[in-house]
Amino acid sequence: MMHNTDITVLLVDDDEMIRDCVTAYLEDEGFSVHGAGSGEAGLTLIASLRPEVCISDICLPGMNGEEFVVKAHTLCPATRYLLHTGMLYSLSDELLGIGMTADDVLLKPIHDLSRLVNKIKRIAAAGRTL
Amino acid sequence: MPHICAAKQINQHKKALLDILDTLPSIIVRVDRDGRVNLVNRRFEQFSGIAAADAQGMLLETLIPQFAGELQQVAVVIDRQSALTNARIRSGSGADLHYYSLQIYPLDFDMSEMAVIRIDDITEHVRIEEIMAQTEKMIMVSGLAAGMAHEINNPLGAVMQHAQNIERRVSADIPANLKAAAEVGVDLDLVRAYLEKRGIFAFIGHIRSAGMRASEIISQMLYFNRRTEPGVVNADVTTVLERVVGLAATDYDMKKKYAFRSIEVVREYAHEPICADIALQGMEQVLLNILKNAAQAIAVTALQRAPRIILRTSLSESMAVIEIEDNGPGMDEAVRLRVFEPFFSTKEVGVGTGLGLSVAYAIVTNGHRGTIEARSRPGEGSCFVIKLPCRGGHDA
Repeated sequence: MMHNTDITVLLVDDDEMIRDCVTAYLEDEGFSVHGAGSGEAGLTLIASLRPEVCISDICLPGMNGEEFVVKAHTLCPATRYLLHTGMLYSLSDELLGIGMTADDVLLKPIHDLSRLVNKIKRIAAAGRTL
Repeated sequence: MPHICAAKQINQHKKALLDILDTLPSIIVRVDRDGRVNLVNRRFEQFSGIAAADAQGMLLETLIPQFAGELQQVAVVIDRQSALTNARIRSGSGADLHYYSLQIYPLDFDMSEMAVIRIDDITEHVRIEEIMAQTEKMIMVSGLAAGMAHEINNPLGAVMQHAQNIERRVSADIPANLKAAAEVGVDLDLVRAYLEKRGIFAFIGHIRSAGMRASEIISQMLYFNRRTEPGVVNADVTTVLERVVGLAATDYDMKKKYAFRSIEVVREYAHEPICADIALQGMEQVLLNILKNAAQAIAVTALQRAPRIILRTSLSESMAVIEIEDNGPGMDEAVRLRVFEPFFSTKEVGVGTGLGLSVAYAIVTNGHRGTIEARSRPGEGSCFVIKLPCRGGHDA
């Protein structure tokens, strides 16, 4: 049984407001949460943190979420990736491209963060058994 | 006998000129100063149903009364010796709606004052113009709506998620809350009791549910930017339409609010399957939306005439055509031209978001490379026509 406190989460989103509210909730749940405002910043953090789970926005300035996840995956293959997007229409294509590296996609806005918690726990547990 | 040859030649020339007039797609009429006919071409005969001989000497405005207003200007045109043009004359309504352009030219013929009138049916031209204007407008407003939706998503997420954070931060289940309460010397249970007593938890709940409602609208607006539809299968349009009618019959709103069962559904379907590449979920949403609108519209006129919806499928110029026609109150031209705009609604505030048909438009045009069009006869009903590129076999 994996405890939330054993799970480190890296949150990559250029919107500080989103990082703040998701971080607050996840910290209350016991996770260790780190934020990055860009894909570049995310890559620097991922190598040192080696988080169990990384949540990345798709629409990022500079390196976009897809690129970030592909690069991050080569740096840290043990991490499980969740994509966060508001663009419903782009889901299918992007999933095709990065389906190998991302585990799931979350649609913005997240109505209920408890669902995000469940997703994190599930994919972190799956990652552990690999 | 040179004069006979000359006369023959003149006759030949005259016939050739008349042939040219008869070949033209325009209606051509020559009238005198009073507006009496002295020459018409074949197109005039076809249009008015009046033979050239019968038209001779008649007042033109009595033969084609729809143009009476313009035809009264014949004398003015002759006096001023300058042509008159009316580029767009509307005639009839609904399926009989036609647009014409009309020109009157002054003519000096054999020392007598005359005028030539040319009338063209420009209905198809106007329709194409309308579709192009519609497309341009929809691209603009859809882009705007999708852009807005995308921008609103994050702040809306923050509103809902922080409302949830507020709820959680007064919960006794989280050790950090208990610790912070102890540090500032308050009893968390009392804080919770106070918040409960003053209805603050209910307020937070309302913030969250209002956020959910807004996010429903946002997710619909994001459809406008969708270039492709998922779940495309090759299917027979009649089968798809029938399935949606089945869905409508079991839909709660359709049953309870609009008494769908009391509506007579007339089916005028193609005998052969007409297949097109269809994103089933999207197309079902489109058709159900139009059916709901039809049922809603019919409810307004149900006391005057028995509610009826006619469903048609056909094949026309390599397009699979689906028509849904109701006998409700119809729409006037101003409404008809705006029905596909996002947030345009004729329903009472709160009844509809005004997004249904704009989403339908996006699904049909972006997702299926098809067209959707609204036709209407005010007072008699509306008809929505969807055309999808026809393709493929019979594996519906």
